[in-house]
Amino acid sequence: MTSKNSHDRVPGLSVVSGNGHSDAEAQSDPAGARRASHGLDWTIFMARAQGGDRDAYRRLLDSVTPYLRSLAARSFYGRADIEDAVQDVLLTVHAIRHTYDPDRPFGPWVTAIANRRIVDCMRRHGRTRGRETSLEAEHETFAAPETNLQERASDGRVLREAVAELSPGQRDAIRLLKLEGLSLKEAAAASGMSVAALKVATHRALKSLRKKLGILEKGT
Amino acid sequence: MIATPDLIESLVADAQPVKRLRPPLARAAAWLLFAGVIVGLLAASHGLRPDLGVRLSQGSFVTGIAASALTGILAAVASFLLSLPDRSRLWLLLPAPALAVWVSTIGYGCLTSWIEIGADGIRLGDAVDCFATLVLISAPLSLAILVMLRYTALLEPVRVAVTGGLAVSAIAATALSLFHSLDATIMVLMWNLGIAALFVGSAGVLGRKMFSWVAPR
Repeated sequence: MTSKNSHDRVPGLSVVSGNGHSDAEAQSDPAGARRASHGLDWTIFMARAQGGDRDAYRRLLDSVTPYLRSLAARSFYGRADIEDAVQDVLLTVHAIRHTYDPDRPFGPWVTAIANRRIVDCMRRHGRTRGRETSLEAEHETFAAPETNLQERASDGRVLREAVAELSPGQRDAIRLLKLEGLSLKEAAAASGMSVAALKVATHRALKSLRKKLGILEKGT
Repeated sequence: MIATPDLIESLVADAQPVKRLRPPLARAAAWLLFAGVIVGLLAASHGLRPDLGVRLSQGSFVTGIAASALTGILAAVASFLLSLPDRSRLWLLLPAPALAVWVSTIGYGCLTSWIEIGADGIRLGDAVDCFATLVLISAPLSLAILVMLRYTALLEPVRVAVTGGLAVSAIAATALSLFHSLDATIMVLMWNLGIAALFVGSAGVLGRKMFSWVAPR
């Protein structure tokens, strides 16, 4: 359907100022004039949208969304919460768009819907927050005390220094097999050591690292 | 969560032409006409009370019935106005003056009924008959106003349900005072406002799910 046709379907459409400003006031106040013309646009777009004009409806929703966002931002801090409220308002506007009377300004109509939906969203958030705790990074841990000592659990510098203090053969074995993750065969080819020597070097290196890092061996 | 521009696109894709609601006063008038038809049909089948002519010459009876009818009309108008998002919430007060007059005559009616009927006066038959008539009037009217005002379930359920319940009560009480000798106003009010409270309470507990069958989102 063209916008002309849909406009013809709007009987009794009258020009209504969005916020009650007179024309003279609107001219002396540029921001007020912008608001008034916005309100007028919204009224015309909504009247056409009721007739099925999708283009007008898209322009209406696109231009009203920042306003709804500013209303929601007064009550919510999180970006996701604000978008949630805005989408709730848009869905309600869509569901009850036939209740809009084009003889009346669109601004107060959508503001009233927005305010009520935002209050509903706040109630819902209040109920949810009472029952839920958000999962933060510091909650991602295990019961063992060591895992909560982050500076020990992830102190790579200490490990690197301990590896550097090993004998050259043991250091190569640890680097190739444990840090770079090569197989015994690949490590043997890369280092020129035999597989058996690599195994022995790795075993001794791990034993010595444990000692250096203060980790007690099982049974000792 | 879907992105807002995507939501807008899907709403636009779903934007069929819609039929605008008629003005709230016209819709209230349609509902009152429906109420008039129901009451008229019941009057034809049930018959008016035998002493209606005598009672209509009594000032308190006429005041009470006029006040309850006016309460019904004003509450219906208030309910249809409140159902629109951009109308003032002060419309809630529209039926208040008529309601005050009606409530003041209820007290008087109860008092006189008590004295007239006496300790052994009220038989079960009358009360059951009263109750059946009350349900016959109230049920279709409640259902009609619920369907007509279904979209407000999303926005302003409490005020609309209270004024709607009051409108049904007042119409039912007016009709009952034409049909029954027993003053049933208290029963009517308890029943209809009880139903309204039940609806509002369940809406509060169950949320929008409850209205989803009449108000698609």
